[in-house]
Amino acid sequence: MDTMNSSIPWNLIMPLIVLQLILAVVGLLSLYKAEATRGPKWLWVIIILCGNIPGSVVYFVFGRKDAS
Amino acid sequence: MRQFLLFFRKEMMEMRRSFKWLWVPLVFLMLGIIQPVVTRFMPQILESSGNLPKGMTITIEPPSGSEVMAQTLGQYNSVGLMILVLSIMTLISGERQSGVSQMIFAKPVSYVSYAAAKWASMLSLVTASFVLGYAGAWYYTMQMIGNVETGAAVKAGLLYLLWLWFTGSLTLLMSSLLNPAAGIAFVSIGAAILLSMASGWLPRFTAYSPGSLPQISVRWLQASDAPAGAFGAAILCLMCMIFFFMIAAYQVKIRKSNV
Repeated sequence: MDTMNSSIPWNLIMPLIVLQLILAVVGLLSLYKAEATRGPKWLWVIIILCGNIPGSVVYFVFGRKDAS
Repeated sequence: MRQFLLFFRKEMMEMRRSFKWLWVPLVFLMLGIIQPVVTRFMPQILESSGNLPKGMTITIEPPSGSEVMAQTLGQYNSVGLMILVLSIMTLISGERQSGVSQMIFAKPVSYVSYAAAKWASMLSLVTASFVLGYAGAWYYTMQMIGNVETGAAVKAGLLYLLWLWFTGSLTLLMSSLLNPAAGIAFVSIGAAILLSMASGWLPRFTAYSPGSLPQISVRWLQASDAPAGAFGAAILCLMCMIFFFMIAAYQVKIRKSNV
């Protein structure tokens, strides 16, 4: 495991983790501001936090009720 | 022209408000980065997954930079295409169903500029997302894998962008024809997949089909020679887009509301 850790260029992996975090935070912010969603909000929190990229995408596409 | 700019600004604002300008480029960028990273660490990933019998060794020939770029385009052709379609599928049908378009067309406004604004906003979102993702993939491939041939990568990227434009136009056309979002997504994704598969099965009949664009761009990266039919496919793709646009503008005119 140690040899693997030392060979990983963290400066190149980090952006990926940061991007993932930004995506999740934006999803949660939008969820917090949304007045109504399809399905309960706590479910979407779990989906966004545990679903990585697909989770956030699914929320943005199906979870949001557009203002109408 | 003034009406077009007005509609265009409204579309852009709506896309910002629904966070599309944030998550679509972000997801495209991550899609682009993941492929080179996974390729680079494939040996370690296989090793740590630990299902191999002891003593067994796998030697994976390290792929070239252009090869990894071609694989990235393959990623875009499955996941990226789906995200593109899902993000823009209700652009026209949503306003028709919520009654917004009925309100808009209560005044004498031009249908063509309304449809053109939809198209322009869709094209700018697609272009920004893909350019960002492709640039990210390129940078990571250069850093982690190896050199990428500049000319071939630029040309392949442009051709692939054209294919994404085509799929986006197809989605907007479906959005003007159909109401249910699931139907729009299903027909658009299905048609795009069928078109690109048909060009693999029947290369003779689909030499200039827009569906051959992803294959052409992948081949361009792998062999870095100009495949035959690239120019013809690009021209036909642009003509299809104009055709789709005209049908959609007409649909907007005759179907202002859901009733």
